[in-house]
Formats: sequence, structure tokens, C-alpha cells
Amino acid sequence: MSDDQAIQVRDLHKDFGEVYAVQGISFDVHAGEIFSLLGPNGAGKTTTISMLSCLLEPTKGDARVFGHSILGEPIAVKAAIGVVPQEIALYPDLSARENLNFWGKMYGLRGAPLRQRVDEVLEIIGLTERQKGRVSKFSGGMKRRLNIGIALLHKPQVIIMDEPTVGIDPQSRRNILDNVKELNRQGMTVLYTTHYMEEAQELSDHIAIMDQGKMIAYGTHEDLVQIVGELDRIDLTINAESARVIEEWQATAGVHEVSAEDGNLTLLVDDSNLVLPRLFESATQAGVRITSAEIQEPNLEAVFLHLTGRALRD
Amino acid sequence: MRIIDLALKDLLQIVRDWQSALFLVVMPILFTLFFGLLSGSGAAGDPRLPVGFVDHDQNSALSASLQSLLETSDAIRPVVLEGDEADRAADFVRDEDLAAVVIVPAGFSEQTLRLGGSTELAEVSGQALVGEEPRLMVIADPTTTAGRTASNAVQAAVTRLLGAVETARLSAETYEARSRLEDEASRRAYLDEALALASDAWSQPPLSIMVEQARPPAGDEEKVSPNVYTQSSPGMIVQFAIFGLNTSAMVLVLERKSRTLQRLLTAPITRAEVIAGHVLATFAVVFIQQALLVGFGQLAFGVDYMREPVGTLLVMATLALWTASLGLLIGAVSESEDQVIMWSLVAMFVFSAMGGAWFPLDITGKAFSTIGHLMPTAWAMDGFQNVVMRGLGLGSVLLPAGILLAYAVVFFALAVWRFKFE
Amino acid sequence: MKVLDIALKDMLRSFRSTFALVMMFVVPLMVTGIMYFAFGGLGGDGGGFDLPVTRVQVVNLDQPALHSGFSAGQILVEFLQNEQLADLLEVTEGADETSARAAVDDQEAGVAVIIPPDFTAAVTAPEGSATITLYQDPTLTLGPDIVKGLLSQFVDGFAGTRIAVGVVTEQLSKRGVEIDAGLTQDVVMQYAAWAETLGQSQSGGAHPALDIQPPSSETEPSNQGAGMIGAIMAGMMIFFTFFTGASTAETIIREDEEGTLARLFTTPTPRVVILGGKFTAVFVTLIVQVIVLIFASAIIFHIRWGGPLPVALVTLGLVVSATGLGVLLMSLLKSTRQTGPVMGGVLTLTGMAGGLFTTGFQNLPAAYETITLFTPHGWAMRGWKAALAGGGAGDVLLPAAVTLGMGIVFFVAGALVFRKRFA
Repeated sequence: MSDDQAIQVRDLHKDFGEVYAVQGISFDVHAGEIFSLLGPNGAGKTTTISMLSCLLEPTKGDARVFGHSILGEPIAVKAAIGVVPQEIALYPDLSARENLNFWGKMYGLRGAPLRQRVDEVLEIIGLTERQKGRVSKFSGGMKRRLNIGIALLHKPQVIIMDEPTVGIDPQSRRNILDNVKELNRQGMTVLYTTHYMEEAQELSDHIAIMDQGKMIAYGTHEDLVQIVGELDRIDLTINAESARVIEEWQATAGVHEVSAEDGNLTLLVDDSNLVLPRLFESATQAGVRITSAEIQEPNLEAVFLHLTGRALRD
Repeated sequence: MRIIDLALKDLLQIVRDWQSALFLVVMPILFTLFFGLLSGSGAAGDPRLPVGFVDHDQNSALSASLQSLLETSDAIRPVVLEGDEADRAADFVRDEDLAAVVIVPAGFSEQTLRLGGSTELAEVSGQALVGEEPRLMVIADPTTTAGRTASNAVQAAVTRLLGAVETARLSAETYEARSRLEDEASRRAYLDEALALASDAWSQPPLSIMVEQARPPAGDEEKVSPNVYTQSSPGMIVQFAIFGLNTSAMVLVLERKSRTLQRLLTAPITRAEVIAGHVLATFAVVFIQQALLVGFGQLAFGVDYMREPVGTLLVMATLALWTASLGLLIGAVSESEDQVIMWSLVAMFVFSAMGGAWFPLDITGKAFSTIGHLMPTAWAMDGFQNVVMRGLGLGSVLLPAGILLAYAVVFFALAVWRFKFE
Repeated sequence: MKVLDIALKDMLRSFRSTFALVMMFVVPLMVTGIMYFAFGGLGGDGGGFDLPVTRVQVVNLDQPALHSGFSAGQILVEFLQNEQLADLLEVTEGADETSARAAVDDQEAGVAVIIPPDFTAAVTAPEGSATITLYQDPTLTLGPDIVKGLLSQFVDGFAGTRIAVGVVTEQLSKRGVEIDAGLTQDVVMQYAAWAETLGQSQSGGAHPALDIQPPSSETEPSNQGAGMIGAIMAGMMIFFTFFTGASTAETIIREDEEGTLARLFTTPTPRVVILGGKFTAVFVTLIVQVIVLIFASAIIFHIRWGGPLPVALVTLGLVVSATGLGVLLMSLLKSTRQTGPVMGGVLTLTGMAGGLFTTGFQNLPAAYETITLFTPHGWAMRGWKAALAGGGAGDVLLPAAVTLGMGIVFFVAGALVFRKRFA
């Protein structure tokens, strides 16, 4: 393993009986980078980081975190990582400070260093004024911030964040994304899982796209977009049931992929200038009205659609 | 209509939770069985308290008489202890295997009869039989009911024994005043004969007491035959009517926590209708629970609730109304599931214990009994017992039902006042 | 060290929970308090128990006219109306048997005493018998028993006189001695005098022929006050200690559901340490609970629990078995949804089987006693009763050892299941 590899994953598998949650994935996370695992729900992202956090034992394969094997040296791995779980994992009947004190002890901090670090983390997450408040009385956003703060107590080398922005308001989401970037600016390696393409796009140095337990693409944002090459992406909304027109459009020359969700359609086409009129024509013939049409630069959604035939949010 | 819809929704939530069946039906039946079986455990055998009998005065006239007097007691029965068992007499009492032990010391008969015949012994007083008086020993725990009952019964038997001794002494004295007993042996024989006659007479004393339980008027006598479940069945119905409230109060609390209550209020339904719907559901749960337990009591335990069906129904309905208002109050003041369980348990313990559901109030102290009779549960017990134990009619349950209704109104008012919609 | 951190965190959460505090301390003390109040201290202070007053309707149907003004029935009525019995009985004379019975039926009286027409005749004549009827409210127990006891005592006095006369007459007749009225009168007077003196000595508290002793001769006088209230408190303490053991162990499942257990597993803390910390919390919480209950009940109810060593041994056995059973029960459950029936159902059933709810029941069947031997509750109860009775370490050793052993077995089984589950 080279010095700049924070995480090395080699042929990781995880089966739950007949369910193959992770099927042989391999990737590297460089030290100091933000690495995203992007994929829809059920792709195997959480299972992958559960293995990296030593919560689950892989059925096959291994991974190393700063040289420590998850199979052979789990304690060393855990000392090196900070985990922010997707669900809030706090003690609601303890105060913010009491939660941080306890978790700090679990990471080996004690006495004055612990107290000092708790003060620092409270400052980072903006909860200094509310440190004595019971967590059960906190707003959702405050709980999320504390949830992240616990992972920072022991100044880990790697922070693993499992879909930290699910179900929160845009402002809190913005705050979290800014925090992630700031942590990374300070030198922390971040392994980030999400099903939001724009987050992966905004944050990441490298992205791995997962679907149904497999890694289907890996690289920088530019590398991945290249997969769809010169294809254009067209987003359409129509005013009617889409089934009858999808078949038509799939058969239309120049159309590579069509995906539909509740009247919103995404198409990958060779040349939007040439294809768009054909789409309008067949829509008219089918008695369907196109209410909006947008031509987009290829993005990760398009990449996913191209690789799987499904939209990222399906 | 919305009230009924809301009540039906509550009932559906309760019925779908299988734990409800456990708390509402299974546990009360188990408890009734348990306490009924234990109370009546002696019915098949001898229900009298076992009292150990250790005879160190083997084969003496007095110890034999005493043993036969103990046999004829209606409160206790002697259990002869010999050898090792005799040495462990105190242990048997401490371990509550025996209610008491009577120990006849060696020479008891001889000394008692000799002293009983002494004409120099003029006074029988509180310091009777001074000097080397022969004394029986009774080992009993005076702080337990069994111990007190047993020692009272032993004392009664011993008093009869002493009566027989005194009778023998008087007879000998009277005879000697008119004739002569030749020697000590003759005297002894005379006394023994007197003792035997007196003991025999005491086995069927000329004056006795017959206890009769109050019965309904002639014609209904067959129907009311109190058994061991007659106390435990109504008591368990009352107790578990209260404990079962945790199921319906839980619905209220969960509705508030999940914010479905707030959503309900955005629908065209008034707050009064919301409360009424919940009360109706609780009433239905408690009433159905009681119906099941009354049915079980009637069919399985032979507790004759149905000898006065309207009266029984009236008590059930008013008890259900009061417990519904209590359930509403618990749901109103609780903020979490834990609090619901806690308040339900506290209410169950306080109202059941103090209201006579666990033990009859007549065996408690005056102050407790007076306060206990203020409890609504005491009135519910009165209502049920008037029917199943006293064999009375509809008129006898009107007052208890009326009081339960009044309590329902008070608790309902409290609950409405405290009900939080947020 | 981390074991202690985890244990302290769990204990902090427990002792902050109102529900937990109420179930640990308030309810057991409250229930015992109710019983204490109900039964007036049960000899703890040697008094303070006011027996309820029983309303008695007495109907004197006795026809003494033929007996020169001597009326046994009237004497009985006066006996019941004696001022000395006013604390126990409220006596009214009924007009006739029907109205007296009706008074009981209508709950205006608890007991009707019906003196038969031939009562005096039975007292004075050499032959014949009479029966006093005691018609009682079937829902009452203590009051009618008291009345019956008093009547028996009174009636035995007369019966004894009749028997004395009968025996004397029979023996003398048999030996050819002439019986005259003066002789029988003499016997009656002497026997009556003897009976009266005997009665006076008994009401003075001493019986001329017997001594009553409590079961433990080593018991200090102060320990006699433990009695039933001590056993009731012991039963409550045992039940709620097992309850707390289960509910504290439940936090393992709850943390699993809340996600904080998984989070703990992501920290560089060995799982055995994490589980060890949680088990330690259960154990220490129970120690605190038992100690507080012992002291609180000693102060409030004047219960003398016994010598320090026997109490410590019984406490250790109880706490270990409650910890062990709690851990085992919770290890078998999948979610907190299932814990309700366990807490309510299983613990209550084992409590019933262990004899915790039957303190004061008389004449329990032998089979039931055997069943209690299969539960840690039954053995814990034995241990506490021995300690309360003033027993020494030797007296509590067996029950303490059995509860300790059971607890260790439960604990090992439960810990193994948890370890496998969270491996």
C-alpha cells in the first residue's frame, strides 16, 4: 500500500444468505481527498462502509485503513476513523456535552484533553450555547450537527459519512456540505456516501458509482462524464401517461436511453438538435403534449442512466 | 358518527396489539386461578390450620385428652411430631409449615392432676399452680394471622382441658366429702374416670355455636354458594380493569407523540368529539374485558354473577365508565409510554389494595377501612359482592353504581381539564 | 476503565428516568406502605392496630321463666354489651329473629347472634343441648371471627359447669351416693368461681397452664416486630429488583434500536468491554436499589432486616440472580416491543411461582411450596425470611448460595447469547 492511500479496498464481498449485498468491489481512497460512493438506495453503500467500520465482517476480501486491516486489526482501524451514521445515534436523555464526554472516552480521551477537545468540537458544530441542553429537546438540524461532532472528537484520519443530508432542510444541508469541505481543507480524508448526484459532483475528488452491490464506474467527475461521451441529455415533461410514447421514442433514431418517472423523462441522445424535433413529432402523433424540454450537459445522472438503464433516484 | 369512527380506530389499534390480550384477559384469568386455588387449597383436604403436637408426657391421660380436644377444634388440627421432627418444632413454625406447635412437657399430667387434687392449693389465680407448675409450651408467631388464630384455638382447647381437670378435682372432692377413697391408687383411678368422662363430654359440648352465612330468600338458596373464587374473581376484575387502562391510554399518548392527534384536529372534528371518541373506546375495552372475565368466572369458577344479570351489568357499566375516565386522565397527563405504564400501575395498586380488591377491608384497621371505603373500587366490590356473595337483588347495586357514576364524572372533568392537545 | 464509563453512563440514564425511579423505589415502598397502613404496623410497634368495630344484632329468644329468674341468655346479652368490648362490638338488641337476619341482609349489621329459647334450660338441666346461631355477612371475616371467639369463651363457661355437674352426678350415682339439689348447686358455684378466676387471669394476659413463645428463641425482642410487614417488604423488594434487572438489561436492546450500540461498536472499544460495561450497570443499579430499599423500609416501617453479614449474603444472591435473569431474558428478545409482556408477564408469573404474593396466606399446599424451589424468587424469599427472623450467616447460606448459583448460570447463558448476537 502506498503512503498516500488512506483506504484500500480489495475484492470486498458481503452476502446475507441469498442476498448478495456487496459483490466484489475494489477501490482506493487517497489521503486528504473526498471520495464519494454514489448510488441509489439498496446499492450496497451502507453495507460497504459498515464493513470498513468493522461493524460487519466481509464474506470475502479485505480492506486497509492507513495500513491497518479491517480483518486483522479492527481496533486500530476504529481508532483511525470517525463514523457519522445515517440515523441519528445519540443519547436523547443526556446533554450535548454529556454525549460528547462519553463518546470521547470511548475514543480514549480523558481528563483535560477531553474537556478541551469537547469545547473545540462544540465550537465547530455551533452548539457551545446549547451544550447543557438535553438532546431530546434539540431540533433535527442540531441533532445532525452533534451526530457529526461526535465523529470528530478524536481527530480521526478518516471520516466516514453515511448519507448525512437525507431528510433535512436545504439550509442544514448546505451547512453540512460546507463543513465537509472545511474538514477536508484541514487535511481530513472523507469517505462520503450519497444518492444525490449533485453532492457527489460538488464535493468529490473521486467518485465510485455503485448499483446492486457492484461498482459500475469509478473516477473523477470528468472521467465519469466521459463515459457518456458526446451524448446529450434531454429532460422532458409531458402531460399524459408516458408508457405509450416511451416505446416510440426508444425506437427513434439517435435516442440511446429513455428513463421515465411520473411524467418526467430523461433521454440520452446523439445530437439534441436533430433528435428533439423527432421527439415532438412522435409525441404529437401519439396525442401527447410536451410541456417542457431542457437540454443538459451530461452529468452523473446521465452516466448512471447509461450504465444501468435506470435513473439514479429510481 | 365521527366519535364512533374514532372509537373504532382506537379499538382496532388495541386489538392488533397482541400484548393487549395478555394484559386484558390472560393475566386476570391467571391471577384469579392462582389466588382462588391457593385460598381453596385446603378445601379438598382439611382446611384447618395444622398445629404440631409434641408429647413428652407419653400415654398420659391429660396429653391424650388434650390431643382429642385439639381434634375437635374447628380452627386447627393436630399433627403429631415425633423424634427428629419434635426437635425441629420451632423451625416448622418459622418456616410456616405449621401454624403453631404445642409441647406437652414430661410429667405434665401427673403434676397437674396431683396439684389439682391438693387441698392445700386453695387459690387458683393469675399465679396459679405456683412453684413447679407444669406448663404447656406453645410455639407460635404472634405477628401472623395464622399464629394468632392457632394460639387462640390452642388456648381454648387448653381451657377446656383445665375445665376437665377441675371437674375431676371437684368430683373427687365432692365424693370424698361424702365417702372415702381408700388410697392413692383409688383416688387416681377416680380422677382418671372423671377426666375421661369430662373429656368425652367436651367432644360434644351441650352448648355450641353454629355459623350461618347470610343467604338470599328461600328459593334462591341453591344458586348462591360462595366458593374460593367468590372473593378473588370480583377482586381481579376490578384490579385488571384498572391495569388494562395502559392499553387505551397508550393509544392517546402515541397519538399525541406521532402528531396524528394534531392532524386529526385539522379535520372537521371538534375537540369534544375527539375526547368522546377516546372515552368510548376505553369504555368498550373495559366493558368487554369485564364481560369476558364475568363469563369466565360464571362458567369456569362457578361465581354466580348471572343470578342478577341487570345488577351485574349495571356494576360493570359504571365501573367501565369510571375506569374510562381514569384512562383518559392517565392519557392526558402522560407524555410517554413509560409514564402510561407507571401511572396505570400506581393507580392499580392504590385503588385495588385500598378498595378491597386484594383483601377484604373488614380485616384491616379502622382508619384504613374508612379511607378504603371512599375508593370507587370499594363500591365496585360492594356491587359485585352484593350479587355473588350476599345474594341480593338489583336494589342493592343502585347505590354502588350511583357512586361509581359520580366518580366517573369527577375524573372525567379532571381529565378534560388536563388534556393536552399538543 | 471503559467498562466503568459505559456502566456509569447507563446508570446516569437510569437514575434520570422518572419511570425507573418510580419502579425501583416508589412502588415497592408504596405497596408495602399501603399494607402497613392497612394492618396497623403488624406488630412492628406492638400496637397501633385498631380492629374494626363489628355491628352486632343480638336476639334473646331464651325462656328462663321456669328457672327462678336465672337467665343465661340475659347474661350473654349483658356480656356482649359490656363496656370493655365496646371497642370491638356495637351491640343492639333486635326485636326478633327475622328482623335481626334482615339487618344482616341489609348490611345494617355484620353479625346477628340468635340465642335460642332453650338456652337457659340447656345450661341448667342435666340433659339437652342448645345452639346459638351466628348469622353473618358472608363478605366479612375478622369481625364474625371475633364475635365467635367471644361467644365460644362465654359459652364454654356454662358448658363446663354443665359438664362438671354431669360428671359429678354420674360418678357419685355410680358409687351409690345420693344426689341432691344442694350438691349440684355446690358444684355449680365452685366451678363457676373457678371459671371466673381463670377468666380473669386470662384477660390479665397470662394463661395459668401455658406459655406462648415465638419460633426463634435467639430472636431479639426487637426482631419480633418484623413479622408480616418484613415479609411483605421482602416480597416487594424481590419482585421489583427482578423488574429493574430486566428493565436495565433492556437498554442493550434499546441502544441497538437507537443506533448507539452500533456506534459504540465503531469505537476502538472491544465488544466484550461494551457488553461488560452494560452488565456492570445492571449489577450496580440493583445493589443501589436494594440498599436504598433496605434503609428506607427500616426507617419508615421499622423493619429490622437482620445482622449485616446475613443481609449482605442474601443481598448478593438476590442481586446476582436478578442481574442474571434480566440479562438472560433480554438476550432472548429481538426488540423493545417484546419486552412489555416479559416485564409484565414473565416476571409476574415467576413472582407468583416464587411465593412473593402469598405472604400471609395460611395453609398453602405442599405442592406450591415445591414450585417455589424452582424459582430464584422463592429462594430469595427464604433467605430474607431467615434474615428477618434473626438468623445468622449459617441460616441464610443455603438460600444465598442457591440464588447466587442460579444467577451465575442465567448470566453466563445470557451473556453468551448476547456475545454471539453482537459478534
